Amino acid sequence: MNLDEAFRNYREKIVDQWVNYTLSTYKSSTFFIKEKDKFANPVGGNIREALDCLFDLLAKNADPQEFVAPLEQIILIRAIQEFTASVAVGPIHAVKHITREILAKDKERCHLVQELYDFEFAVDLAVLAAFDLYMHCRERLYQVRIKEIKTGTYLLTDSKCPSNLLKINIQESIPSNS
Amino acid sequence: MAVAKLEQLAKSVVQGPSMATGAVPVKDWMDVSAIFKPGNYAYQAKQEKVEYLNSQKGLHFPNAREWSPEDEDWKLPENWKEIILKGLKERLEKFRSLKIFMDCCVRCGACADKCHFFLGTGDPKNMPVLRAELLRSIYRNDFTLGGKLLGKMAGGREMTVAVLKEWFMYSYQCTECRRCSVFCPYGIDTAEITIILRELLHLVGVGINWILEPVSNSNRTGNHMGLQPHTFKDNVDFLADDIENLTGVKINHSFNRKGAEVLFITPSADVFAEPGLYTAMGYLMLFEHIGLDYTWSTYASEGGNFGLFTNNETMKKLNGKMYAEAKRLGVKYIIGGECGHMWRVVHQYMDTMNGPADFLEVPKSPMTGTTFHNAASTKMVHISEFTADLIKHGKLNLDKSRNSHVKATFHDSCNPARAMGLIDEPRYILDHVVDGWVEMPENTIREQTFCCGSGTGLNTDEIMELRMRSGLPRANAVKHVIDKHAVNMLSCVCAIDRATLTSLMNYWNPGCDVCGVSELVGNALVMEGENRQELTEGLRTLV
Repeated sequence: MNLDEAFRNYREKIVDQWVNYTLSTYKSSTFFIKEKDKFANPVGGNIREALDCLFDLLAKNADPQEFVAPLEQIILIRAIQEFTASVAVGPIHAVKHITREILAKDKERCHLVQELYDFEFAVDLAVLAAFDLYMHCRERLYQVRIKEIKTGTYLLTDSKCPSNLLKINIQESIPSNS
Repeated sequence: MAVAKLEQLAKSVVQGPSMATGAVPVKDWMDVSAIFKPGNYAYQAKQEKVEYLNSQKGLHFPNAREWSPEDEDWKLPENWKEIILKGLKERLEKFRSLKIFMDCCVRCGACADKCHFFLGTGDPKNMPVLRAELLRSIYRNDFTLGGKLLGKMAGGREMTVAVLKEWFMYSYQCTECRRCSVFCPYGIDTAEITIILRELLHLVGVGINWILEPVSNSNRTGNHMGLQPHTFKDNVDFLADDIENLTGVKINHSFNRKGAEVLFITPSADVFAEPGLYTAMGYLMLFEHIGLDYTWSTYASEGGNFGLFTNNETMKKLNGKMYAEAKRLGVKYIIGGECGHMWRVVHQYMDTMNGPADFLEVPKSPMTGTTFHNAASTKMVHISEFTADLIKHGKLNLDKSRNSHVKATFHDSCNPARAMGLIDEPRYILDHVVDGWVEMPENTIREQTFCCGSGTGLNTDEIMELRMRSGLPRANAVKHVIDKHAVNMLSCVCAIDRATLTSLMNYWNPGCDVCGVSELVGNALVMEGENRQELTEGLRTLV
């Protein structure tokens, strides 16, 4: 019984717990966990899809570059939600503990816990990548704000009518007596 | 879950609110009440704007003052509670729908997971049923026998400052898009509950600047931006010049021309901000192409009606302005541009507020002879209805290949789709002006369309994260067609959409542009006497 086989056997259980844990960080998570339609449930659907994909990559020691796509699918969402940075990326970490716990409970496979180093190192790399992506998303958001201002939408509230500005200028140019 | 380390993992080690998202490290969600932090609320209305509006005849915006939602003390009037309860009483008597909506909800939960704010935040108070419950609990407590006797046991609670703050938080986390109403078996229009919540809040001087400043501008100069007639005219003239540069066709348009057959009104954003500008160029080209006898107005220079987001008196006044101008100019009817909530106001409220517009004629297309009976009372026809009719009668010379740079999908803007049933006309137009446009998934379009996330005056940049959250369901569906069909253009028929979907795409799906359907019409039009340059990006081409 080797680790690859254990991953195959427990894949569904691990991913399920991982998804549930990640979604439990939302205030009202029942629907996010239950609804499987990605369009009716974008948070739950995307996180499920992405973690599903990420687990396989972690388990087979894939090139960390490949982590980026599924991680981005998750972090784009969590970077703009009301989480601190650590809580936004924290759930990526969770798969370490879930996997250990599940394997440890299986008497035939508990020895495999000793062999998790490579897997856990891959998770560490994924967490670090998630931090990079988090910052990338925040930066993108600031750029969106700047672009919006540049396109003139801000005119809606921040513009002054020219005649009013002129009036203010005139008032300011009159020296006060005090 | 019994994995011990995970509980620790869920908590931030560093305490204090995050500078980035305004998030406070969580304890337990049940202990979290409405806390206002930079980034999670839209800025309060400026004192001078509230003062100005309150000074206007027929408008009521009391308690102008300097205040901030972040302050403990909101400087409410001393008798604020009395004002709120009296206001609610009046509205329960005046609007039968409100009374019914307060009474008939059975809390079946059909609406709970249909709101884009809930789907993007996971905050239970954004479930429409719970948002309504914020008001309903007060209604029960003070206006029903059960609530008066049993209080909390009957689902009632006392009106307190904390409740008022919660109202402010969650009535401004609703875009009145009415998606939830589609699923309500009792037909409760939750948007109207938000409308009432906002009305009540205005009674004690609680409102946001992004709404009240455009309202005050519209009241003063006729458009959201507060632009004066000469500036409005100049901008439309610039667009006409641009068209001439690009296509060699001179546009003959006019302003405030008495005796024109048609008055054309569109959101001012089409005339001033990208990418709406290209939509406005599309209108100008279309009307030139068919030789329509029409005029713009520099007074009714705004289709949008942010009054809808304040109270019914203000909505009525801003809507009335369009009809007053139509009367003054002596036109036969009005054509309205691609706007969202203008159409909700026109189709659902105009007739009882300012209608029927008997001094106008039922719109009849001078080119096709079609009478628009659907606009028999309001006398206002939608540009997409008008254009689709022209296409059906073969009145437009269109060349789809001029849009070959576009792979489009179509976003049903909430108000035209759900409030006026404008669903097939824009699709019919797209069929004729672009090749192979694609639909987004079924549960995200037509009546079930997801909001852009920034309607009802929430398109302000200080709540950008919130806008991105609430826009996630829409962006998620767009991403699907980008991945599957290489879509590069999100078309729509709403000016707020054009502005807000652009930001939404820039975050979620960079590389996907946003346009109005009329821009694609303009791109495809083969104009008489044209001397067209090589326009690889249609009207957006820089030459």
